[in-house]
Amino acid sequence: MTACLFIRRTALVGLCVSASLAARAADAPSFNRDVLPILSDNCFACHGPDAKQAKGGLRLDLRDSAMKPAKSGETAIVPGKPAASALVKRIETKDADQLMPPADSHKQLTSVQKDVLKQWITTGAKYEAHWAFVPPVKAPPPAVAGATHPIDRFILARLAQEKLKPSPEAAKHTLIRRVSYDLTGLPPTTADLDAFLADRSPDALEKVVARLLKSDHFGERMAMWWLDAARYADTDGYQADATRSNWPWRDWVVAAFNANMKFDQFTREQFAGDLLPNATPEQRLATCFHRNHMTNGEGGRDPEESRVDYVIDRVNTVGTVWLGLTLNCVQCHAHKYDPLPHADFYRLAAFFNSIDEDGKAGGGAKPYLSYQSPLASRSVTEAQALVDERKPREAEARKAAETPFADWLAAQAKAVAPGFSAWHPLRASELESIEGTRLVQEADAIVQASGPNPNHEDYRVAGPVKLTRVTGLKLEVLPHASHTGGGLSRGKSGEFILTDIKVQVRRRGSSQIRDVLVTGAVADAAADRKGAREYGDIKGVLDDDPRNGWTTKGLDPKQPRTAVFALAEPLLLDADEELIFELRHRSTLGDANIGRFRVSVTDQAGDAIRSVGPVPLEQLAAAKLTDLTALDTKLRAKLFNQFLADHAPYQVEKAALDRANRQLGEVKAAAQKLNVMVLAERKEPRTTHILLRGVWDKHGEKVERGVPAAVAPWPAAADKTRLGLANWLTARDNPLTARVVVNNLWAMLFGNGLVRTPEDFGLQGERPTHPELLDWLAVDFMESGWDVKHILQVMATSATYRQSSVASPALLARDPENRLLARAPRFRLPAWMLRDGALRSSGLMNAALGGPPVRPHQPEGVWEEIFMGRFKYEPSEGAAQYRRSLYAFWRRSIAPTFLFDSAQRRVCEVRTPRTNTPLQALTLLNDETFLEASRALAAGILRAAIKPEDRLAEIYRRVVARRPSAKEAAVLQREFDRALALYRTKPDEATKLLAGAQFRIDSKLNAAELAAYTVVASLALNLDEAITHE
Amino acid sequence: MNEPLNITRRYFLGRGAGVSLGAMALSQLLQRVSAAPSTAVPAGLPHFAAKARHVIFLTQSGGPSQLELYDYKPQLEKWAGIEIPDSVRQGQRVTTMTSSQKQLLMPGRTKFERCGRSGATIGEWLPHLRGVADDLCFIKSMHSDQINHAPAMTKMLTGHQIPGRPSMGAWASYGLGSENKNLPEYLVLISKMQRPSDQPLYDHYWGSGFLPSRFQGVKLRNSRDPVLYLRDPDGLPRELRRGMLDGLGELNQMRLAETGDPEIATRIRQYEMAYRMQTSVPELTDMSGEAESTFELYGPDSRRAGSYAANCIQARRLVERGVRFIQLFHPDWDHHSRLPSWCVARCRDTDQPTAGLIRDLKQRGLLDQTLVIWGGEFGRSPVGQGKWDSIEAGRDHHPRCFTMWMAGGGVKAGLTYGATDDFSFSVAENPVHVHDLHATALHLLGMDHERLTYRHQGLDFRLTGVEPSRVVKELIA
Repeated sequence: MTACLFIRRTALVGLCVSASLAARAADAPSFNRDVLPILSDNCFACHGPDAKQAKGGLRLDLRDSAMKPAKSGETAIVPGKPAASALVKRIETKDADQLMPPADSHKQLTSVQKDVLKQWITTGAKYEAHWAFVPPVKAPPPAVAGATHPIDRFILARLAQEKLKPSPEAAKHTLIRRVSYDLTGLPPTTADLDAFLADRSPDALEKVVARLLKSDHFGERMAMWWLDAARYADTDGYQADATRSNWPWRDWVVAAFNANMKFDQFTREQFAGDLLPNATPEQRLATCFHRNHMTNGEGGRDPEESRVDYVIDRVNTVGTVWLGLTLNCVQCHAHKYDPLPHADFYRLAAFFNSIDEDGKAGGGAKPYLSYQSPLASRSVTEAQALVDERKPREAEARKAAETPFADWLAAQAKAVAPGFSAWHPLRASELESIEGTRLVQEADAIVQASGPNPNHEDYRVAGPVKLTRVTGLKLEVLPHASHTGGGLSRGKSGEFILTDIKVQVRRRGSSQIRDVLVTGAVADAAADRKGAREYGDIKGVLDDDPRNGWTTKGLDPKQPRTAVFALAEPLLLDADEELIFELRHRSTLGDANIGRFRVSVTDQAGDAIRSVGPVPLEQLAAAKLTDLTALDTKLRAKLFNQFLADHAPYQVEKAALDRANRQLGEVKAAAQKLNVMVLAERKEPRTTHILLRGVWDKHGEKVERGVPAAVAPWPAAADKTRLGLANWLTARDNPLTARVVVNNLWAMLFGNGLVRTPEDFGLQGERPTHPELLDWLAVDFMESGWDVKHILQVMATSATYRQSSVASPALLARDPENRLLARAPRFRLPAWMLRDGALRSSGLMNAALGGPPVRPHQPEGVWEEIFMGRFKYEPSEGAAQYRRSLYAFWRRSIAPTFLFDSAQRRVCEVRTPRTNTPLQALTLLNDETFLEASRALAAGILRAAIKPEDRLAEIYRRVVARRPSAKEAAVLQREFDRALALYRTKPDEATKLLAGAQFRIDSKLNAAELAAYTVVASLALNLDEAITHE
Repeated sequence: MNEPLNITRRYFLGRGAGVSLGAMALSQLLQRVSAAPSTAVPAGLPHFAAKARHVIFLTQSGGPSQLELYDYKPQLEKWAGIEIPDSVRQGQRVTTMTSSQKQLLMPGRTKFERCGRSGATIGEWLPHLRGVADDLCFIKSMHSDQINHAPAMTKMLTGHQIPGRPSMGAWASYGLGSENKNLPEYLVLISKMQRPSDQPLYDHYWGSGFLPSRFQGVKLRNSRDPVLYLRDPDGLPRELRRGMLDGLGELNQMRLAETGDPEIATRIRQYEMAYRMQTSVPELTDMSGEAESTFELYGPDSRRAGSYAANCIQARRLVERGVRFIQLFHPDWDHHSRLPSWCVARCRDTDQPTAGLIRDLKQRGLLDQTLVIWGGEFGRSPVGQGKWDSIEAGRDHHPRCFTMWMAGGGVKAGLTYGATDDFSFSVAENPVHVHDLHATALHLLGMDHERLTYRHQGLDFRLTGVEPSRVVKELIA
């Protein structure tokens, strides 16, 4: 038993069974409502639809099987005669061997459940078809005094049965906030709020609903639902996780919802846009829906296995999104609970089995549509603007550097006496080898190896550095007479292979060592190499991989060799810190340890650490100039570059321009024709087989295209194509699709579906809390022509929707999960709405529609650490940073870190979890986007014409759409005063807090005040009320 | 899994011994909510007395070679360079990396030794581990059914090859609850490597699947922010954060009184836990207080933050702090080529620290209550990949048999269980499937794998799936 199971029982017992059974004890229990859940839960695993598993030949899901003698000779159910029914005997027996369910199933019937079963048999053991397989009927809503809206009439009638009253209407500010989030995923602007508060007309809310449904943000909100269901992502997933360019499909979804494309057409285009007569590019684009699954390009994997996986994924997705059935159970065997034979899965799979694909990933995932998005050019304009803004700043900084450069050059010219060397040999305080080679440092800091010459060896040189900083190291490998053939090593060949180097820092007396990142390596010579995993290239020493590394094998072994290593950034050493340089000889060949070497360090930037040979300052020294105007222009340019490399004011602007240029390059590429993965049939259809136990290459019998008979019949005349399948899904007699869709839409507005297992309408799913209402909505949806906006409008204008979410203690105790809807639900908003809401409330939001994905802030290094550096995340800059979360680049192996509790986008999901954890608190407190929003909100308030004493209340209002109470205002004031006092005494802290990624402090504003308001704004964005759908 | 009610309250409501909900006033309800420990475990747990209270899973990602490390097959020498007989191969599929080449056998590339009193066989690349052989319990007969990395690792860690199930660590923390209210129950540490790994470590490996997300593993990152978003922004001193959270708490209390939503009480607690983590996590990752002898025990690499060796020390510190499940990942065991140099490199990274961890836990009296598990997602084939007798040769993936070991936590020290055939190609006796390993580990933690279930999409899911699996009682002391 599990928590989830238990609460369901609580609810069932508390609300359904007690109300229905206890109150109407004499009535026959309803098979579907009361009996089936018990049978399904406790008996069907062995006596259910999976015929192969039916123990003793007994199936309790079929009336005929249950009422005829089983293999044992006993009859499970004798209608009207519980005493003669073996089922009753077996659930009540004290004999552990006879008891059902058996002990090893770990299932146990409660006495209430046993009574239900007995009562049902006593009253005739009537079987009914599972509710979800019976087409919905639009029953007239019950008459309820004072209620006209159909939804309200169903809800109120049920409440009256339970002797409960609905809650009063929510406050207006709550209502507009609620409906704005529900229909657009955004909070109202203050103008929207004020207009609604001022509108006293009785249809004020209807007008807001109509406005929101017309907003372009409506399509974005709906798309977020649909993208989760469609497992949309911008990468393949799995090992390579290559980037794909399917985002134009995401924009197709937004546009379809905004145009209110009817859901049946929406289905047709995504299943079979390519099969429609005169298909437009957009209709073919729509079929990307069924290509959004993960693709696996892992080396060594059989592409056919992957292809089969994709087909299976499509069937599962159809099951979850349209049918609300856990078809994935049927991949391996007949369904244990629902009337779905094993073959049903593969009959459906056959519709998707002849796509012209071959299981490949990355750039080989055909079929593709070559498509140019009309929405990309806007991104190019935006990115170009950023480059244009930064270019002059970089040029200016370069120019501004001329003066300090001249001073520097003059100083250097004086300082560098002839013979000046930029390299300082590292004198070892400690010199060791792991395997026993004897190392001795000679007077000129050269280290000579002698004694044992092991196959593999690591040397470690540690010593103090006199320079105040280190930018790079030099390794000289030297020949010696004691080496083989006077060469570079004592190995058989006289050659060396250096597999890896390490640079580290050690503080004297401390146990800790820290790694120093080395990013550059150049050498004066290297052996030719064939592949990345061959010895030769010096770069191989930087990757911790012993299968590659540096050697000069094949070149003159008596020549000294030099390599120069550049650190990622200048290393500043304290007086009590020492540098460690480690040389590893761990090659596969072995016996190639360097025999004689010297390590030196430098503090020079630029060319000095990127090339071998005299550094520019050494050249300057050698030139012995008295008159700097006579300086060679080439050398001068080199020196200027070296100066710039070290000149922070210039580097800041240069780096900013580089980033803007990279961003521009990226969106320019996205504005070209792109390959979007779509559906297309291959010429020769593939044969489809049942896969035994669901294993890709274990073929069972052949099957033809077809649909589960338990759901709805296939129309005789219809073509067995994907188009036919889409039509079947949205046919009037399909009992599931409309119910499943309206249930998902209901969950969007009410936090939970009327069926609380939106992914499972089968026997193990929950029954609807309001079956007649669900059916009414489903039929109304179909009658409206599958009009999504219509059905949302109906829901959002009901009094049920408008109720307050405040729960009285009595109501909370009576209906803790709010299944009866005597109040509006209160639940935390999804993380993506929180981010979008913060951007909108603070005025930062960039409302542009569509286009290539963007990269919102996330902490440094999260991609790098998963892929060990293969992918690097560079947050978008400029206006692109403030796009809605829908457009955030989605890497399948690491979803955007700020989206907690979100769908994973690996397989289809229609219900995302809603939890409450400390990690979420940390995200909302410290994520850069929320901090930027806090700064912007504070600055906006200070810049606006708002009286100082109203500022805190206005921050509050922009976030939660209401003014604070006096008590609340007092807390805000106290926290503001506390922050202000601190920032006044510590102005540096204020500067630090305000130094955001992109935020520029408005010099007209007082920094301490701005920082203090920023703290309050962050507090406001973290309020429970701010992050909650009230 | 939707969680309109938080888990604590869910248990409380569901199992509050005989308390009538209707009769309970909200104030009482809330009082009970805030008084209830945030770490309640599902009722009925533990199912029986636990032998282990903590798990350290030393995950070696990529598939370490049993043939070089533990599974000594001297008979294979006779078969060197000879095609594997069909009678042995039994139609076993290979990956497309080697399916087109001849399947020539390659004997182990190392020397073996019988170690300790137990006489366990350990290859020469693991000299330190040889010294603790008598503390280890080897399973030579592990087998899996997945031949590619991601599905095999997903199977090893979640019991199913398709992502989305809760990981073993999530199940364990769900079933065991926490001993430390300042740290998550399940922490993950990944070795910092310079080399880009071919096998990314996906976060679903330590995900909570459909279990509530508080049970998901929290990755301790090797950066300024050991936990994502842990660090307050520059310019927001600690005292100000405290004040701000006090103000936030007060305003949330007011909202709680206004709306009666118990979820707000939980939220207030979670913000406080977040605040405490801001202190407890940096304190945890600061190893400056460790004795010099510790670094000597775990080897020179342990001084380097983020190394496997440093993570081993960290694992012991986490056990001391009551964290339930600690998972280390060491990548790059996928040795398709140049196995002699490549595999040695990974052995060097891990040998001394692993042995050091066992010794350290033992000397501190923690080994008895800590189950240490060592292993990867599968093993490697006795067939050479590439030219079998060259230094270039490696080995392809092999799920049919591989070696794992456990130590401490109630397992039989010095035992070698199960065996493979003369080729280390198939299990010859006492097979242990990945699910059997899971069942056994849960058993040691006091949980019956058949009863540790969670309902999702109408089904009672468990770590060990629907196929029968067994607790390998022979491994238990």
